[in-house]
Amino acid sequence: MTLRKSPSNRPSHYGQLSLNFEKRHGKTIIENYYQLPPLRSGRALHINPKNPSEATVYMVETSGGLVAGDQNKFEINLAEDANVCLIPQSATKAYPSFNGMWSTQNIDVSIGPKATLAWKTEAMIPYETAKFKGKTVINMAKDASLLWGEILAPGRATHGEKLKYENLKTNFQVWLEDECLIYDALSFSPNQTDLGQLGLLENHLYVGSLWFVSPYAQEIDIKKLNEELQEIADVKVGAALLEKKAVNLRWLASDLVLLKQEMDRVWEILSDYIVEKKL
Amino acid sequence: MSNQREDSKKLSNIKDTNINQSYLHLIQIHDSAFPSGNFAHSFGMETYIQEDDIRNEEDLKVFCEMYLRHNFASGDAIFAKEAYRLAKNRDLDGLIKLENICHAVKLSPETREGSLMMGRQFTRTIKPLVEDEFMSLWLEKFKNKEVKNHYSVVYGIYTAIIGVSAKMSLETFLYSSITALVLNAVRAVPVGQMSGVKTVHSMLPIIEEVANDVMGYGLDDLDNNSIALEISSMKHEFLNSRLFIS
Repeated sequence: MTLRKSPSNRPSHYGQLSLNFEKRHGKTIIENYYQLPPLRSGRALHINPKNPSEATVYMVETSGGLVAGDQNKFEINLAEDANVCLIPQSATKAYPSFNGMWSTQNIDVSIGPKATLAWKTEAMIPYETAKFKGKTVINMAKDASLLWGEILAPGRATHGEKLKYENLKTNFQVWLEDECLIYDALSFSPNQTDLGQLGLLENHLYVGSLWFVSPYAQEIDIKKLNEELQEIADVKVGAALLEKKAVNLRWLASDLVLLKQEMDRVWEILSDYIVEKKL
Repeated sequence: MSNQREDSKKLSNIKDTNINQSYLHLIQIHDSAFPSGNFAHSFGMETYIQEDDIRNEEDLKVFCEMYLRHNFASGDAIFAKEAYRLAKNRDLDGLIKLENICHAVKLSPETREGSLMMGRQFTRTIKPLVEDEFMSLWLEKFKNKEVKNHYSVVYGIYTAIIGVSAKMSLETFLYSSITALVLNAVRAVPVGQMSGVKTVHSMLPIIEEVANDVMGYGLDDLDNNSIALEISSMKHEFLNSRLFIS
């Protein structure tokens, strides 16, 4: 019997989405953009009643997901005082690595003085045997603000696919000018490591991370926030104030809907908080 | 007699003597009488103890093995080993970059501050013991607040200067870190002293294995999958009663 050969000669895609934002006449607009399929973006919408100057932009991945060897690249630049909310239209999906190659996603962000970027929480879903590598580097001015959420899923949980991927590596960095404030490198290889053990995921399946970097972060009552977070059952969660410059929140959960609801709730609180402080 | 005198001048003898002194000094800096401050920190372990996840010797062994394989091996051990390598090469810029990342990977404020406190304490203690141009340069940068001086980094630099091997520096770093955790657990769980001894003894082959692995690692191998430990460390500052600073 011969096994059917994998389509290893499939051409990889190199998607790119570059968006430059600036503030003109009191409104943030897309000053320049470049898009290469399968990445696309919608136009700037001014739909946030709490902050009419903010540009809300939906980002779309038209291919549905990353196949092994595929690379997606985002370049987001915010000029001084721009206010932007970026919303991924759906979860990022990494398909099975039929040829042993990695699929990769790189996000480079630059946030100018007094500018604000909010990246709405979405999930990254690695399918069975997927190999995914993601790197996000954010360079921001000391008086800029950032709100960023992401969820790492164990696979297509509704299909019974839990922690069957090969490798999942993400690297999230925040630089305040020359200072590296956050360097979060996560790496999971379920075939090599029992992720359920004490100290690792401890029988949870989803990892949620929320980052809030802002000169206003120090005014948040971190003890109160922690107490509120602990009220949700079946999650392990902690919030911390890092050097009065950032609040980071980390969840471990087994229910995606519950986790997303809770992360969206906190995201909205922090998003409103930035608007309240800036206006 | 003349032969004996000739032998005593041989370079090999002098080298042995130096290595022996360096080795003894390495033991000294890991001795509990040497104030490095690691007995004041649990780095998240106390949260597990209070939540009743570490109750006995077996639980403690599981915790220590996890800490070695999934925290030290992909974090501080890499920083100590890389700091040693960069100090040997007198690469100050490389050390500054390394330390910047060492600071940023610690996402629990208490862990970040704990590592800085230990670095400060260790530095205070070694300062009168060392005369070395490169070490002085580093300490000058620390004094001028140009570097933060995390414990793993200053430990790596110092052990490179006193002349022990990189492997020995790393093995003893791992050993003393685990010993401190176990001794803290003996007080806090509590478990018996003999259970502590047996726990440390059972970690020796794992320390050797982890040290061998880390010798081949670099900054690209920094990673974190001990998320639950990190959350426990973040929650520590909000515990009602605490024996340890972190």
